[in-house]
Amino acid sequence: MKKNKASLTDKILTKVLGKEKWYGITIPLLSILFALIAGAILLLLLGKNPIVAYQSLLQGSGLLPKENYAGGKNMLTDFTSMLNVLTPMIFAALAVAVAFKAGLFNIGVSGQMLFAGFVATVTIGYSDLPVYIALPLVIIVGSAGGALIAGLIGILKFKFNINEVVSSIMLNYIIQYVVSYFIYTNFLDPVSRQSKKIADTARLTIVNFPIDKIKIDLPLGFVLAIMAIFVIRFLLKKTKLGYEIKAVGLSTKAAKYAGVSVGKTMITSMVISGALSGLAGVTYYMGYLGSIQPKVLTTVGFDAIAVSLLGNSNPFGIFFSSLLITGITKGSTYMTSTIGVSVEIASVITGLLLLFSACGMYVRHLANKSNDRIKEEQLQQLKGGEQ
Amino acid sequence: MNTVIIDGLAFALPLFIIAIGGIYSERSGITNLALEGLLGVGAFSGAICVTIIGPMFGPGSQIPMYIAFLTAMLGGMVYSMLHGVLCIKFKANQVISGVVINILAMALTTFFTSQANEGIFGKPSNKFVLTASQRITVPVLSEIPVIGAVFTNFYPYEIIIIVIAVVMFYVLYKTKYGMWLRACGDNPHAVDAAGVSVSRVRFIAVMISGALSGLGGMCFAYSISANFSQSIYVGFGYLAIAGLIFGNWKIGPTLGACLLFGFARSGGYKIVDILKMPVSFSDLVMILPYVLTLLLLVFFSKTNRAPRALGEIYDKGKR
Repeated sequence: MKKNKASLTDKILTKVLGKEKWYGITIPLLSILFALIAGAILLLLLGKNPIVAYQSLLQGSGLLPKENYAGGKNMLTDFTSMLNVLTPMIFAALAVAVAFKAGLFNIGVSGQMLFAGFVATVTIGYSDLPVYIALPLVIIVGSAGGALIAGLIGILKFKFNINEVVSSIMLNYIIQYVVSYFIYTNFLDPVSRQSKKIADTARLTIVNFPIDKIKIDLPLGFVLAIMAIFVIRFLLKKTKLGYEIKAVGLSTKAAKYAGVSVGKTMITSMVISGALSGLAGVTYYMGYLGSIQPKVLTTVGFDAIAVSLLGNSNPFGIFFSSLLITGITKGSTYMTSTIGVSVEIASVITGLLLLFSACGMYVRHLANKSNDRIKEEQLQQLKGGEQ
Repeated sequence: MNTVIIDGLAFALPLFIIAIGGIYSERSGITNLALEGLLGVGAFSGAICVTIIGPMFGPGSQIPMYIAFLTAMLGGMVYSMLHGVLCIKFKANQVISGVVINILAMALTTFFTSQANEGIFGKPSNKFVLTASQRITVPVLSEIPVIGAVFTNFYPYEIIIIVIAVVMFYVLYKTKYGMWLRACGDNPHAVDAAGVSVSRVRFIAVMISGALSGLGGMCFAYSISANFSQSIYVGFGYLAIAGLIFGNWKIGPTLGACLLFGFARSGGYKIVDILKMPVSFSDLVMILPYVLTLLLLVFFSKTNRAPRALGEIYDKGKR
C-alpha cells in the first residue's frame, strides 16, 4: 500500500509529459531539452556562450538569418544546402524504420546506398541521356539496386537462417571494396581522387540554380522524400502488408498462427527498406555529392539508425528528427567560425541527444507508473469521501 | 607463408578477444552492438595515458605499453557501464543503445583527442602518436617449419590475449558465475528463482565485454595504425560481432571464425604481392574474408541459435 502514495515527482512528471497519447511527442521533446542543457553545460565548461552557439547552429543550417553573407548567397542558400543533406537522411532513416517494424535490423543501409549510388552513376550518370529520361531512370535504378542487396539479406535470413546483422556487415565490406576497385580502375578522376563527376543532366540536385540575385542548390529528391514519408506511413498504417509487417515484428510465432507468411513478409519488408536505402544512395551520391569517394562507407546509414529511433520509427517523427540531426551537423561548421570551438562538439551534442532519447522508454515506464499511483490515490480519496 | 601466419594472428587475436567480450554480454542476454565504441574508448584511454606517462620512462621502454593495456581495459569497462545502465536499469532497446553508444564514443573520443592535444600538450592534432609495439621471436620453436611462424615476430599482446582468453573460457564454462551468466541468456527466470540477481550478472557481463573490447582496441592501435585517431573506427567491432554470431555464441568456434578473418585477410595481401598485381587489385582480394564467411554461413548456419532471451528486457512479472 505504501507504494501507492503519489509523490511530488509523480505529479511533476505527469504534468510535464501531459496526456498519455501525447507521450510519443512529449518524451522526445524532453530528451531534446535535456540534451541541449547538457550540451550547454559542456560549452560553458569550455568557456563558450551556449546561446550564441545554438543560434549559430540554426544560422548555419539556414533556419535563422546570419548577420552578413558572401556574394550571391543568403539564408535560402544555406537552407537549400541543408535540405540537400537532409534528403538522403530521411530516406535512410525510413529504410531503417521499415525493417525495424518487421523486427529486422538493417545495419547495411550504408552499403546499400553505396551500391545503388554506384550502379546508377555508371549506368545513367556517365551517359548522355536527356534530363527527362535520365532522372526517372536514376530513381528506378537506384531503388532497384538497393532493393536487390537488401532483398538478398532477407533471403539469406529466411532461407539459410543467416543473421541479418552479419550478412549486412559482410555485404557492407564487400560492396565497399568492389566499388572502390572499379572506381580506381575505370572511373577515377586523377585530380579529386574520387570518381568522375556525373553529368549535370543525371544529377538529382540542380547546382547553382539562379533565383533573383543569388544561386542555390535545389535538391529535387526532397520532394520525393516528403512523398516517401506519406507513402510509408500509409503503407504501415492502412494496408494489409503494413499490418503483416508489424505483426511479424512483434512476434513471428503469433504472426505465423494468424496465417501470415513470415518469410515472405520479412523479405518484402527488406526489399522496401532496400529500395529506400537505394533512394538515399542516389540522392546522396548523385544529388548532394555528384561523385563517389572510394574506400569510404558513408556514416549516413549508421546515423540513420539513431535518427529513426529518435523519431520513434514513425515516418512523421523521422522527418523532424532528421531535420534536427542534419541541422546540428550542417550548422556546426558555421558555429565553429563564430565561437571558435572544434567541429566535433556538434557530434558530441548529437550523441548526447541520442543518448537521452534512448532513455525515452524508461521515462515512459516511469510516467506510466506515476499515472497509476496518482489514479490509485484519487480512487482512495473518492472512497474516503463516500464513507 | 610465414608472413600470412604472422600477420593473420596479429589481426585475428585482438578481434577474438573483442568477440569474447561480445559473447559474455550476449550470452548473458544483452545484445552488444556497442563493441565498436567500446574498443574505441578503450584505445583512447590507453593512448592518452601513454602520451602522459610515456616521457617518464626511458626511450624504448615497454612498460608504458603494458600500462596502456590496463588503462584501455579500465576505460572500456567504465564506458561499457553506460550500456549496462541503459539496457538494464533504463530498459532501453539494446540494439539502439549499442548504436547510440558507438556514435557517442566516436564523437567524444575525437572531440577530446583534439581538446587534449591542444589544451594539455599544446600542439593541435587529431591523433595520439604511439610507437609501434616490439615483436618477439622465440629462439628454438621458431625454427620448426610452418608452425614455427606462430613463434616468430609476434606481438607481446598476443600472449596476453591468449592467457586472458583461456581464463575467460574457464570462467564461462567451468565456474558458477559462468553458469549463471549462460542461464541469464536462456532462462533468466530460472536464475531469479535460484535467488541470483539477473541484473547484477548481466551488468558484470557487460563490464567484462567493455574491458575485453578496450584491450582489443588498444592492440589494434599498437599494431595496425601505431596511433590513436578516428581511423580506429573502421568496423572491427562489427566484424567481431559477425565473428561471434558465425561462431554460434561459443568461444571455440568463434576463435575459428576470427582466425578465418585474419588468415583470409593476410593471405589476400600475400596473393596480391606474389602475383605482382597492381595495387588496385588488393581491393578485390580484400573481400575474400567476407565472401568466404557468407558462403560458409550458407552451409553452416542452419543450426545457429541465438541465446533465447537475447535482447529481451528482463521483466520479473512476465512468465
